[in-house]
Amino acid sequence: MRALVFIPAWNEEAAIAGVIADVRKAIPGADLLVVDDGSTDATAERAREARALVASLPFNQGLGAALQTGYLYALRNGYDVCAHLDADGQHPAEEVARLLAEVTADRADLVIGSRYHAGAVAESGDYQPTFSRRIGTSVFRFFLTLATRQRFTDTTSGMRAANRRVMALFSQHYSPDFAEIESLQLAVRQGLRVEELPVRMLERAGGSSFLTPLRSAFFIFKGLVVLLVGQFRPRHVEAE
Amino acid sequence: MLVLAAEAGQVHLTSQTRIVAAVLALFFMLMILELIRRDRLQERYSVIWFIAGLGMLAGAAFPGLLEVVANLMGVRNTNVALFSVVLLLLLGLALNFSVIMSRQAAQITRLAQERAIEKALAEKRAEGANGNGASGEEPLEAKEQSL
Repeated sequence: MRALVFIPAWNEEAAIAGVIADVRKAIPGADLLVVDDGSTDATAERAREARALVASLPFNQGLGAALQTGYLYALRNGYDVCAHLDADGQHPAEEVARLLAEVTADRADLVIGSRYHAGAVAESGDYQPTFSRRIGTSVFRFFLTLATRQRFTDTTSGMRAANRRVMALFSQHYSPDFAEIESLQLAVRQGLRVEELPVRMLERAGGSSFLTPLRSAFFIFKGLVVLLVGQFRPRHVEAE
Repeated sequence: MLVLAAEAGQVHLTSQTRIVAAVLALFFMLMILELIRRDRLQERYSVIWFIAGLGMLAGAAFPGLLEVVANLMGVRNTNVALFSVVLLLLLGLALNFSVIMSRQAAQITRLAQERAIEKALAEKRAEGANGNGASGEEPLEAKEQSL
């Protein structure tokens, strides 16, 4: 089983080297790719210094396009499984290893690391969601569950592991500006086995979250439109 | 229907306005031809503009057409019908542009992704060919310094 771990990174020069070291230590058997989403700081340089392979997008394209680059790379280069995690240090690599193990054991096609799942334990210094994020999370959780008829607790998690069926789907269809939620809906609609696994997440190591209350509201509105439209998209593979 | 329209008899276009409109429509279509000739506009995006120009020309040549359209829409005032038709046409054009823009945005994204992957693979191959990357970079730097 060849595994690829990729890290979409946009202006994360402070955290990227630490994340790379963490992944190397926790998942020594996997190849590593940093997808630099048109960073204007030294993210790509820091990653190369840490001796990681870097795919640099020539300009900032958004998280969806960066993730798709990773899936496309994994598909083209014949990897059996792949996983991705955020570049800001919120995702411990040993948790990513657990997600990869689920996919490798073929218990699911796509595994999501959930910080809200009942089994996730909170320790001091662990992830504490802000108020606006909590509202957004519950709104998306409700509508995604409605749309997919499958229970999801952490719809915006950027820690995932996937097999080749998912790589093939996501490298073709992936919303550039609403990556996380629409991709879950898409995968379920295509009849793929999507699973959540409770994971630990940490507070951010560097950079700052892009969410302000106004942006959150717009983010939620856009998400709902995307979900609604997604319900009318054609299914490419019929799920029995 | 045509008879009904003629009976309604609300054509306010004088021959002067009709001539001006026809000249404008012809000028408009010539401008599109010129843009295509100079490669500033692609043929496939010009069709919709030619249709708009022909519509203008038809309206100027046969004012009765507007009456027919107004009747079909159930509008008494032909001016309202005219503006509605033009507004709808412009809306359609704007939507058409959004569709084209979305397609091109997707193409640009894919192009950027392909290029990023190709460059990363080339880097990987270069490292592999040189045994390890650190020693591979030294001759390059030395060459640059000698220049």
